[in-house]
Amino acid sequence: MLLWLVLLPAISCADPSSTEIRHAELIDHHDGYQIETEIDYQLSATAKEALDKGIPLAWDVYLEIRRPGFLWGPTLYKDKLRYTLQYHALLKQYAVKDPRGNSEMFLTLTAALNFMSLPHPIRVIDYQLLESGKRYQLAVRSKFNREQLPVPLRPFAYLDSRWFLSSSWFLWPIQK
Amino acid sequence: MAYSKIKLPASASILLLFGFVLLSLQLMSSATQESSELGELYSWLLVINTLGSIILLGLVAVNAYSLVRELKKKEAGSKLTTRMISLFVLLALAPAAIVFYFSVQFLHQGIDSWFNVEIDRAMDDALELSQSSLAQRMNWHIKQTRQIASKLNNQSETSIALEIGNLWRDSEAMEIAVFSSQGHIVASSSANPSDILPHLPDEQVWLQLRQNKEYYAYDASDTDQMVARIIEPIAGDQSRFVQVLYPVPVRVTDLADSIEFAFIRYQEMTYLRDSLKTSFSLILLLVLLLSLLAAIWVAFISIRNIVAPVKDLVKGTQAVASGDYQQQLPITNQDDLGFLVESFNQMTKRIARSRDETRIAGLEVENQRAYLETILANLTAGVISFDGNFYIRTANQAAYRILHIPVSHFVGQTLLTLSVKHAELADILIVIQGLLEQADDIWEQRIVFLGPNGRQELLCRGTPLFSQDGKRVGAVVVFDDVTDLIQAQKNAAWGEVARRLAHEIKNPLTPIQLSAERLQHKLAKELPDTSAEFLQRGTRTIVQQVEAMKRMVDDFAEYAKPSKKQVERINLLDLIQEVLALYMQSGVVFKTAFSSHRAIVEVDPVSIRQVLHNLIKNALEATSEKCQIEIKVSNVVRNNVEYLELGMYDNGNGLNAEQIETIFEPYVTSKAKGTGLGLAIVKKIIEEHGGAIWVDTSYNDGAGFVIQLPVFELGKKP
Repeated sequence: MLLWLVLLPAISCADPSSTEIRHAELIDHHDGYQIETEIDYQLSATAKEALDKGIPLAWDVYLEIRRPGFLWGPTLYKDKLRYTLQYHALLKQYAVKDPRGNSEMFLTLTAALNFMSLPHPIRVIDYQLLESGKRYQLAVRSKFNREQLPVPLRPFAYLDSRWFLSSSWFLWPIQK
Repeated sequence: MAYSKIKLPASASILLLFGFVLLSLQLMSSATQESSELGELYSWLLVINTLGSIILLGLVAVNAYSLVRELKKKEAGSKLTTRMISLFVLLALAPAAIVFYFSVQFLHQGIDSWFNVEIDRAMDDALELSQSSLAQRMNWHIKQTRQIASKLNNQSETSIALEIGNLWRDSEAMEIAVFSSQGHIVASSSANPSDILPHLPDEQVWLQLRQNKEYYAYDASDTDQMVARIIEPIAGDQSRFVQVLYPVPVRVTDLADSIEFAFIRYQEMTYLRDSLKTSFSLILLLVLLLSLLAAIWVAFISIRNIVAPVKDLVKGTQAVASGDYQQQLPITNQDDLGFLVESFNQMTKRIARSRDETRIAGLEVENQRAYLETILANLTAGVISFDGNFYIRTANQAAYRILHIPVSHFVGQTLLTLSVKHAELADILIVIQGLLEQADDIWEQRIVFLGPNGRQELLCRGTPLFSQDGKRVGAVVVFDDVTDLIQAQKNAAWGEVARRLAHEIKNPLTPIQLSAERLQHKLAKELPDTSAEFLQRGTRTIVQQVEAMKRMVDDFAEYAKPSKKQVERINLLDLIQEVLALYMQSGVVFKTAFSSHRAIVEVDPVSIRQVLHNLIKNALEATSEKCQIEIKVSNVVRNNVEYLELGMYDNGNGLNAEQIETIFEPYVTSKAKGTGLGLAIVKKIIEEHGGAIWVDTSYNDGAGFVIQLPVFELGKKP
């Protein structure tokens, strides 16, 4: 077990992602750009069981705009949106807490996941951030936040592939 | 060695380590509490503690490996260290393992005791009760809503707007709103006058509405108040919907929340039961591992520190055993081991001091011996020492010079062995051996023998050596070549004789001669002829004999008086050729063999010429038939001095042993004529030139003489 804990980051990297970024793009909003993305959440049976037992599950959606470089280009824009999914046994509904802190109730898990699949960034990206004629990269990732799980569950969440609910980085080229 | 690299002698660092381990474990233990703020650090603490365990395990492994290597090399103290560490590990591991086992057992049983079937059922029932209550309330509200919808049936938008206020007042609703299927609000009425717009359904609600044609659900998104949202189509008009929001009483909401919270909490705990057990077991295991590994590591360090003086002592003892007395061990502690180390240091100091004193004494003895050896080596007298069995122990350089055999090469052998290898010295060596064996006291004897350079006379003195208890342990023989001394004494005696002869004999000879001549002169005329003739014969005889005596005295005086040399640098070979040329007509056959390459000598040519004449004349007189003389000239080196060696061999009668002994003494002659001074003068001249002459006893076909003269060397003073 000790050895597993040491090899933990390596195992995490080899995460067979059950969450996928379907699509991401930068769209022109009224007063700036906004990132639109579509995330497909797939819960494992273990995760579903934990959710039904009242354990909240949280994902952090990372939105970044980077300039491609030799190794790591500079990150021009960075945003993190946290979505927390929890089951209300009394009402038999699923509650989703969005990045603004608002809760939305859903009768089905699919409806709740659908709501989460279209994250709404809070910040609008300034037009000045992106110079025309240059290439950029839009990077999106939804990372399952194991640290929001109850303490006894955390070590197993890091080691058990059934708890590997994060997506890998999704990179989308942008030409301005 | 790994241990020396990981240098942690200070107890402070050990205390720090234990403090860190305890703090880390305490933090991790606190983090497991649900309410703890350290919950976020739990994973990191777990990783840190695991890494700490691995590092400690590595340190223990390195120390154990190092110990195994020391054991294999059989290093000092390794066995003691192994025994102590094994004992410690055994004593520490056994109780820790027992405590761990029972702790895990208690932990599992304790967690299991939290749950039982009755509570499970009670929780489920409570939830179901709450759900039934809410469902019943919902059914009632649905019924009310349907009545409102039927009242709005087939009414225009205006009448709906007028009617909706009445309907809201008659109901318990919080808000009533009518909207089209496209979401356009037809009319609304709300308890809250600040709500200008009604709470329209969101997309999810619309989705369900389109599927089911109606919608009802509790909305708990507002944390303050839970509301029941019911949307029904207005009968007869499928394109319009009425939405009624009914508030759930606060008391009901609180109760429902409370039940839900307890239920969820219980569900969560049930779900996490196994994880909790594993998690707590893991923490216990980490605590055990960290504590044990830290203790074992510290045990390694402490035991090594304890064993270090013993190790040093063993190494020190080995060093002393191998002769290194400079070992001074460090005294680290003032305990019993420290006392032992101090005693060891004192012991080695004393041993070293004793050894140094012995060495100094030995050096002094050696110096004394070397001093004596130097004196012996530079003595002109030969010294040979023998052990108790008369085997040669030492011999000095002078022994070689006098005997002409390297006696020092025969250490460990007897003189008899030496006599076998050097037959020419057998006589003298046997005599000395006999004297050594017989003498019980100091003895002295003159021994004459024929050496390679002719007759030699040795004055030998022998002393037997005795130990303190009177046991004979050896003997010393001191001998000196007194040949030259005896010769000088003889020469001095002959000189004195010559001087007295001159004084006592020669002086009366002249008056005798004059008296005889006067008798002849006076009486010759007066005596008759017969008497005169008799007188004449008598006086003539007197005069002749007086003349002969005078000549003899002159020769003698000549021999005795110091020579006056006119030294010149000449080639001896030229001089020899010159002298030989004078005898060409005499019928003597000369055979010359000149192998010399350096024949320059610094001599008085007149004297040397006389030497050659005397020797040649001597040979002629000794030869009865045809005289044949062989002359050999060669270079020899003796005692680091180069000599020109001239050998002259005739074919005459030769010399017997008695003659050889006295041939160079004055008035020794085998001839009828002659004064017997010829060879004595030759020897005198040669010796005055720093040379030597002797009879070659190995030559048996006649008489053979060997002359050695030092070769002239540039830069060397004569």
